[in-house]
Amino acid sequence: MATTLFDVRKSAIHRLNPVTKLIALLAIIVTVFAIPLWWVAGLIVVLVVAPAAVISGSGGRLLSLSLKILIPIILVLFIVQGLTFPGGKTVIWEWGIIDITTEGLMFALGIGSRIIVLVLASILLVLTTHPGDLMSALTERGMSPKFAYIISSTLQLIPAFRERADSILLAQQARGLSLKGSPVRRVKVMLPLLSPLVLGMFTDVEERSTAMEARAFGSTAKRTSLIPVPDTLVQRIARWLFVVLALAAVATPIALGLL
Amino acid sequence: MSSTTTTPAATNKTRNRILVAAGTVIIVATYLYLVVGQPTEIAQSSFSQSGLIAIAGYVIGAILLAMGAIHRLPTATVAMVPVAIALNIVVGQLVSVIGLPLYLDSIGTVLVSALAGPAAGVVTGILTNVIWGLTLSPIALPYAVVQVIIGVMAGYAARLGMFRLFYLAPVAGAVTGFVAAMVSAPISAFVFGGATGGGTGAIVGAFQAMGNSLLASTTLQGLLSDPLDKAITFTVVVLILAALPSRFRQRFPFVREHNVFGRKTQVVQHQTSTTEA
Amino acid sequence: MIDLTDVSYAYPDTDRFVLSHINLNVPAGTVAGIVGASGSGKTTLAKIISGFVPHVDGGQLEGTVVVDGATVADVTLAEAVSHVGLVIQSPFNQISGAKFTVREELAFGLENLGVAREEMAERVAEVAELLGITSLLERSPYALSGGQQQLVAIASMIIMRTPVLVMDEPTSQLDPGGTRMVFDVMSSLRDTGITLVIFEHKLEHLREHADVIHVLADHQLIASGPARSMLADPRLEEWGIGSTRFTTAARAARDRGLLAKNVELPVSLQDAVPLFEEFDAKRGA
Repeated sequence: MATTLFDVRKSAIHRLNPVTKLIALLAIIVTVFAIPLWWVAGLIVVLVVAPAAVISGSGGRLLSLSLKILIPIILVLFIVQGLTFPGGKTVIWEWGIIDITTEGLMFALGIGSRIIVLVLASILLVLTTHPGDLMSALTERGMSPKFAYIISSTLQLIPAFRERADSILLAQQARGLSLKGSPVRRVKVMLPLLSPLVLGMFTDVEERSTAMEARAFGSTAKRTSLIPVPDTLVQRIARWLFVVLALAAVATPIALGLL
Repeated sequence: MSSTTTTPAATNKTRNRILVAAGTVIIVATYLYLVVGQPTEIAQSSFSQSGLIAIAGYVIGAILLAMGAIHRLPTATVAMVPVAIALNIVVGQLVSVIGLPLYLDSIGTVLVSALAGPAAGVVTGILTNVIWGLTLSPIALPYAVVQVIIGVMAGYAARLGMFRLFYLAPVAGAVTGFVAAMVSAPISAFVFGGATGGGTGAIVGAFQAMGNSLLASTTLQGLLSDPLDKAITFTVVVLILAALPSRFRQRFPFVREHNVFGRKTQVVQHQTSTTEA
Repeated sequence: MIDLTDVSYAYPDTDRFVLSHINLNVPAGTVAGIVGASGSGKTTLAKIISGFVPHVDGGQLEGTVVVDGATVADVTLAEAVSHVGLVIQSPFNQISGAKFTVREELAFGLENLGVAREEMAERVAEVAELLGITSLLERSPYALSGGQQQLVAIASMIIMRTPVLVMDEPTSQLDPGGTRMVFDVMSSLRDTGITLVIFEHKLEHLREHADVIHVLADHQLIASGPARSMLADPRLEEWGIGSTRFTTAARAARDRGLLAKNVELPVSLQDAVPLFEEFDAKRGA
């Protein structure tokens, strides 16, 4: 099966039209990056992302996946910018040559709050949206079916590819090739690993494209889709609303002279 | 049975050219605005929309480029792209597991560009980051434009014959890496505050401590790793290409048209044309 | 339905003809079996009939190929594939990869043609029923056995309703169970009235399903004939194709005088049964 993070459930969030979720995600990202106030990002997490996560039932997975990605980034962000932010003047803590500045920490807070929203909202979309549905919905709206083909097909190819890579890796190790030593040596070990893997996959391509052509992939007819993508009037209105909100978010700080 | 309708190819071509041109202009304009157009103090305050401009400009530009590029790809190329993306991702992960101090996450992109041209490289590049976002981490998404540029540069390098000789490829790779570092620096700076990972973050911090601005620091950090990484990537690709059967390589119109692998092809083509005549 | 007249072909960048002066006629509604040693040009011939040569592979194609009334070289590939379907060796590569369930996988070709949703649903149900894969419809195409995968691949071509279907060694990568699954659906396929061309190594199965056998050797179609007599022909050994164990055993028995000199050699178990009975009767006497 696919390697995406999709979490099989039937919640109200899962059932939404994929395009509605995608536009909501884009609106959220635009909003937090447009309004330079960390607490706006905080409000969005508390009022939008968290409730949606709870309703979806995928909240636990969202938390564990996001923390794994976010903790190192946020930690590095605060340490590096706290210590070395170029605009840092107000020192709030110092020890020897090390000093932490308020400006650095505020900068880290501004950037960090945005990254947190970006990661949480994106992963929630991926957790609650089957990639096949997302592709059908976008193809229905005029995206080239070639994009849909490439994305869906890659998602199913990666596990097969990884399996081959693992079996080759095991075979090489069984032959006594160790993956330790200097980087140059490790590259030398990697190369013979890569060739059989790549050659096998690329020679399959010829057959696969023949099979696709035989099934009219080259046709220029307007595509139809077997499985309908659910949509409602409320969602249609909501999507326009998200667009308006995002535009307002871009305009507000300029109008208020915050920039 | 054949309900295929032919849309006028000419209007499609014009539309695709406009998309590619608009995408290129937006990417270049975004870079210039972020790097040259605004004062450093404003750019590095979190009270600015630099992050929004970086993400929006680069993502919209990359999407337009990909939209214009994808229609040019024949089915044989479309079928190859998933393999190339899987190669990018699986090798990228494998390298990090083995613990090499490199990324090597664009071998597939460069390979496709060399075989099928810059348009194929653009599509492979952007979708690599989309898939990375769908399967591993959304942090990759804002960087999609970097893979796109690697695809374009590798495609033109192939046209110029840089994959004909073993020692030219790393040079083309280093140049590509240089451009990749310059383009990715604003994202690392304004979207991630220099903190894309432990090692890179420390290096950015070190450059800042030496008195560089945030953008200068992420640029310098990129220049430390990208040219070397891409030089190695291009070298690996040359080795893979040499190992692929010549019949496979010569199936690609781009390879034949631009004589990507050098004189040998010319001789063979010459021979067949004389026998045909 | 299929007419090849004096067809020769060389791949691009070579002047060596992998097929030369091929003449082949397959009447509508019949099943033609084509046998040949590895490297005899079977896959190339399959691609010529289905239009991939010269439309995709290029090269030098001489002679005329007419399938379902269309001269293949004169129509586009998109049109050619509306006349003839192709099933390739590897079921893994035949599966589009773009779909997450068998149901959607079957509809892939119809979606590409822009067929209306209701009609697609009907045709999916119909073809799944025909090939006995209805129970697999909600599964992932990648979570199937090789035999099941090849059935899905065949179904995904049948659903296109092309009048001709070419199968290029559809069981060469399958285990005996998978092979049986594929050949078990042959008679159902036949009942649809489709014209079938099967390239195959497994002579016993061909005996059962093909009307006429054509032999490919030395880049030419060098012999044709009704399935039983052609598949028992001793020259198949010289051409590197071999014979079934029943043919070999009966030939040995005949040479030792255990069977009449003019005995019609068996190819499959079914052919051999009367001979066994004859044998038994002789021993009893």
